[in-house]
Amino acid sequence: MLDILKKTLKTGCQTTKYPDVPDVAPEGFRGMPQLLSDKCTFCGECVKVCPPGVITIAEKSHEKTLALSYCGCIFCGRCEEVCQSDAVKLTQEYELASLAKEDLITIIRRKL
Amino acid sequence: MTVEDEIEIMGQRLNDKIRKIYGRSLHIREVDAGSCNACEVEVNSLSNPIYDIERFGLHIVASPRHADMLLVTGPVTRNMELALLKTYNATPAPKLVAAMGSCACNGGIFGDTYASMGGVDKIIPVDVYIPGCPPRPQAVIFGLMVAIGKLEQKISKTEVKS
Ligand code: SF4
Ligand code: SF4
Ligand code: SF4
Repeated sequence: MLDILKKTLKTGCQTTKYPDVPDVAPEGFRGMPQLLSDKCTFCGECVKVCPPGVITIAEKSHEKTLALSYCGCIFCGRCEEVCQSDAVKLTQEYELASLAKEDLITIIRRKL
Repeated sequence: MTVEDEIEIMGQRLNDKIRKIYGRSLHIREVDAGSCNACEVEVNSLSNPIYDIERFGLHIVASPRHADMLLVTGPVTRNMELALLKTYNATPAPKLVAAMGSCACNGGIFGDTYASMGGVDKIIPVDVYIPGCPPRPQAVIFGLMVAIGKLEQKISKTEVKS
């Protein structure tokens, strides 16, 4: 009995303080992919490899668009792996919950 | 003011009321609609001593009849389609639905195939989307807090021109 009490006191409180205290994801955690609009060459490699197909590329007469939806993204990191120009990076951000699907879309555009 | 506007305002008021009702405690029924079980493992860890969601008044319950919220995982396989619909109908109103994991949000890695619906929102209305494959327990806690209006959503649609 006394041993158990000693152990308990030694261990202390293990419950996380999240969400009162922000919790940073560990090193190497694959979170929200971020598109860097100034580096992207719109080559379309990431569109080809994305397993669930959440990255789409579109070309209209005067502009190119690359859209990525976090809704459906499995955070595999394939896009980061194949991108030659380091235009897509996975961040440590994981607080992605949203009330609408549209909020999870990120788009980059470039005029031709 | 058109009829649509009025409906929207009414919906907004109802939402505010729901938030008020759920402000203190929430009973959650977890529905596995064909997930790979990684999401379930994260749900299990929500009630362990480390994440302990009971400290927020969130309880996982054993029946949809006791629940205020359905926490749905998986892309909704054809075999689970009817079961999910029945579970939704068995939950007393007002009810919330949270789509947990990329599968539940949009089909994820399983997608929209002959065997799966590709997302919970194809069958029942979803109130909060929690992306992740699987989402960290912290991400799920954040999602539940967003659903009941205790925390603000952090992400919004972004468009960058260059
Ligand atoms: S993000 Fe990288 S791989 Fe994808 S289109 Fe842009 S340059 Fe190509
Ligand atoms: S992390 Fe994987 S699933 Fe997400 S956008 Fe990149 S390739 Fe697609
Ligand atoms: S979102 Fe990922 S972890 Fe969750 S059920 Fe689907 S495949 Fe499994």
